[in-house]
Amino acid sequence: MPAPAESAPAKGSEGASIDRRRFLKRGLFGGALLVCAGSLPFVFRTTRRGVAPRAPLRLLSADEYAVFAAVAARIVPGDGADASWPRAEALDCAGKVDALMATVHPAVGRDFRRLLRLMESGFLGALTAGSPRPFTRASAAEQDARLEAWRRSRFALLRSGYQAVKRLADAAYYSSPEIYALVGYPGPPLVPQLPGGTP
Amino acid sequence: MTAGRIVAGTEIPDLSSIEVDFVVVGSGAGGATAAAVLTAAGARVAVLEEGGHYTRRDFNLQESWAYPALYQEHGNRATDDLSIMILQGRSVGGGTTVNWTSSFRTPERTLALWAARHAVRGLDAPTLAPHFEAVEKRIDVGHGDPDDVNNNNRKLREGAAKLGWQPELIHRSVKGCARLGYCGMGCPLDAKRSSRTTYLADAVAGGAQVYADCRATLVETDRGRARAVVAEVLDRASDRPRGRFVAYARRGVVLAGGAINTPALLLRSKAGTDGGRVGRRTFLHPTVPLIAFYDQPIEAFYGAPQSVAVHHFADRGERVGYFFETAPIHPMLAALAFPGFGDSHRKVVERLPYAQATIALLVDGHHDDDGGTVATGGDGRIKLSYPLTPALREAAVSALGDMARLQLAAGAREVMTLHETPLSIRTEADIAAIAAAPFGPNRHTLFSAHQMGGAAMGEDPARSVVDSRGRHHQLENLWIADGSVFPTSLGVNPQLSVYAHAHLFATEIAKAG
Repeated sequence: MPAPAESAPAKGSEGASIDRRRFLKRGLFGGALLVCAGSLPFVFRTTRRGVAPRAPLRLLSADEYAVFAAVAARIVPGDGADASWPRAEALDCAGKVDALMATVHPAVGRDFRRLLRLMESGFLGALTAGSPRPFTRASAAEQDARLEAWRRSRFALLRSGYQAVKRLADAAYYSSPEIYALVGYPGPPLVPQLPGGTP
Repeated sequence: MTAGRIVAGTEIPDLSSIEVDFVVVGSGAGGATAAAVLTAAGARVAVLEEGGHYTRRDFNLQESWAYPALYQEHGNRATDDLSIMILQGRSVGGGTTVNWTSSFRTPERTLALWAARHAVRGLDAPTLAPHFEAVEKRIDVGHGDPDDVNNNNRKLREGAAKLGWQPELIHRSVKGCARLGYCGMGCPLDAKRSSRTTYLADAVAGGAQVYADCRATLVETDRGRARAVVAEVLDRASDRPRGRFVAYARRGVVLAGGAINTPALLLRSKAGTDGGRVGRRTFLHPTVPLIAFYDQPIEAFYGAPQSVAVHHFADRGERVGYFFETAPIHPMLAALAFPGFGDSHRKVVERLPYAQATIALLVDGHHDDDGGTVATGGDGRIKLSYPLTPALREAAVSALGDMARLQLAAGAREVMTLHETPLSIRTEADIAAIAAAPFGPNRHTLFSAHQMGGAAMGEDPARSVVDSRGRHHQLENLWIADGSVFPTSLGVNPQLSVYAHAHLFATEIAKAG
């Protein structure tokens, strides 16, 4: 079934040439774009590192951590949230995701690192959303446009990539007790510790 | 016989081995039941379980702990394009540790379909009845209790009743349930009758040993017989191998790692995979959620998660059927399901207490749809692909419309779809827009909590992996006793069927000696 014509609204994508589209399409089979990402060795040369990790990283490099932290800051909780909402960084979203992804299958962890490399790439940023800078150096509006372009892309791999970072950021943020009251959730009931147990 | 026990990975020396009559892989509904029945028949049994051993005092009701600790791939399991998030248990007790307790017998029309189209023989309702009865007694399956119905389920019941869609009360496997609402995070009261508190406890009391933190990686075969199961002993904190353990089987091997891991184990072992049927026809009951907002609080995070089901649309003739249930709404699971990011996403999560979640489970495999495929790469990673066929899309779109009608009938102020661009539905006239909204991989939130198939049973070896009693067509002493033997999806929540089929299969294995 052909992909529905939900076009990327981001500026610049309209002008993407047929060659560029062809490149993307060809690169998608079997996740080949992710494999390509492994050969982007210089992509982190210009990565802007934000706040340092709180604990030694278990999976990500310092640059990869910075990319995920920058992505998470756009996903949760949103600029319109008032001061009672903690920022992604305050809940250590990137640190929690690094710890979690260190425990998944090594091949999944490797793909996740490659995905962050792709998201940081100014080349892909230019191609998808007219944003030629590294993600970590783009403005907030450009970062949102890039995430939006991936989210609505006609290319399945970009939509998958968006979902991967979106879900990880949401999971790290919204599983934190700090946000329970903010979403009207009183939290789990207190359960008396009964003696005994099974087996 | 002296009682066995549940051994943690830290207690298992590297390169150690054991020899028993039967090696059972997996400790969920299938594995625990098989272990209990074989142990009761006098066999020495070892159970290998990939997940950790947790008891009620570990269950802190926090999503941040429960999903990484109690679910496959630490809560990250999904189809390989991430379009369907897969909720599948992984701990001592398997899926039963996190199951929402909904208990149904295998529908007779599903059994009839297996007989007619998949060459399943001698597996009708009367044959299964004594096994269902035994299992229902042991795991305390009750009758539908109206007091179980929380606001989330009440809306489903009211809406369906108004439309004449015959809501039913769900039978639940609980005893002394306090209706906390956290079945999916492990029951802190042991009120849920998981396999850990029932059949696994029976097996251990009868002498079976359970080895937790042991991931079966290879079934060793020799001249058409399964000889041993090789396992990695996992370090629980890192989930990385810290040692190797071998369980030798004198009489047989029973696989019950669930309908993704069992086919993957056979494929990785290249054991009994001639004919190319292993890993094919994997079914998921692809699950389409729809959110409704009410003026009064629903508080779908509390109360028995599922107590009402609607099977009015389960049989749609030539078209793919579906049935309705509810899903509990805790902050993390809700945030994962809600589309978008930033302000628009947060504004939806802020309405959490007022949200009602109805889910449509698509009855896959009953028509010409072949479901998904499980494969393993050279790196051992499991890959599950699942195409959304036009027939499944038609069912999903139809189900979304019917769920919206139901929620409006129940008095919802607004219904919100989980398309990447959500539709807001306030009147019947708004429902038509659903048909035009893009629906496909990662364009609409999809889940699966029911994994079935991948090692189908049947009497035709060219079209199935095991016979109608779970015995492998190519390996005479290897049986499969989990949801992977189902030739199609069931059309109901599968846990009770897994228990009952394992009970039947193990009873026959014990007789066969």
